[in-house]
Amino acid sequence: MTEHLRAEHEARQIREALQQAFPPVNTELRRDLCPAVLRKLEAHPVRVPWYDWVLIGLSTSVFLFFPQLIPVFAYHL
Amino acid sequence: MDLLRRFALGEADAFETLVRQFQGEIYAWIVRIVRDPGIAEDLTVETLWRIYRARHQFRLDGNFAAWARRIATNLALDHLRRKRPEQSVLAEPAGAPQPDRLLQRETREMIQQAFRRLPAKLQIAATLALVEEQPYDEIADALGTSVGAVKLRVFRAVRILRKHLNHLGVRT
Repeated sequence: MTEHLRAEHEARQIREALQQAFPPVNTELRRDLCPAVLRKLEAHPVRVPWYDWVLIGLSTSVFLFFPQLIPVFAYHL
Repeated sequence: MDLLRRFALGEADAFETLVRQFQGEIYAWIVRIVRDPGIAEDLTVETLWRIYRARHQFRLDGNFAAWARRIATNLALDHLRRKRPEQSVLAEPAGAPQPDRLLQRETREMIQQAFRRLPAKLQIAATLALVEEQPYDEIADALGTSVGAVKLRVFRAVRILRKHLNHLGVRT
């Protein structure tokens, strides 16, 4: 038996064993999860990370002290 | 304005519509991997929450279902990595077990045990490809890899499982 055929045979055997060991699961959702998702969104509102605020602060300071950089920056956008 | 564009802009109504439309599909994908309805529900809620948080990263010309499946798969992967290998997920029928049924159960438990010892990445690939018989391209998309890589993972899983089962004295 060639290596390829042997590998296929082995895969088939393992597939059958796994299908016996793991019976089919019910994939139907039992309840509406929308309320739970909305509750989670309210409990954990989306926040801007601290490093984004630092970046905004640094950029603003640079543009305040060196306004001549604004057109250079705008050109590269 | 279409639903996905409104979602990407952060409109709550659009997101709620998407949740109702896709929650079943996401749940079905996750439960196939984790094989526990309670855990799958929790991971589905987490997936939908992460989808909302990552809405700016969604490409409007992309496939929402595929994007959601990828987020769900990453969460399921994290779950499998955290899970203890000896945990069993099979519900047994009530009543006193018959001797041959006991033997079957023992064999099943040994196969499950060997399977849980696989690395999480191999477990997911093998579950979806061998147990659930999902298309390889869909698995590859959800894992963020190529079809060839999925086939290799399945091949490796089969080899390792064969070795573990031989070691445990289980003949398949």
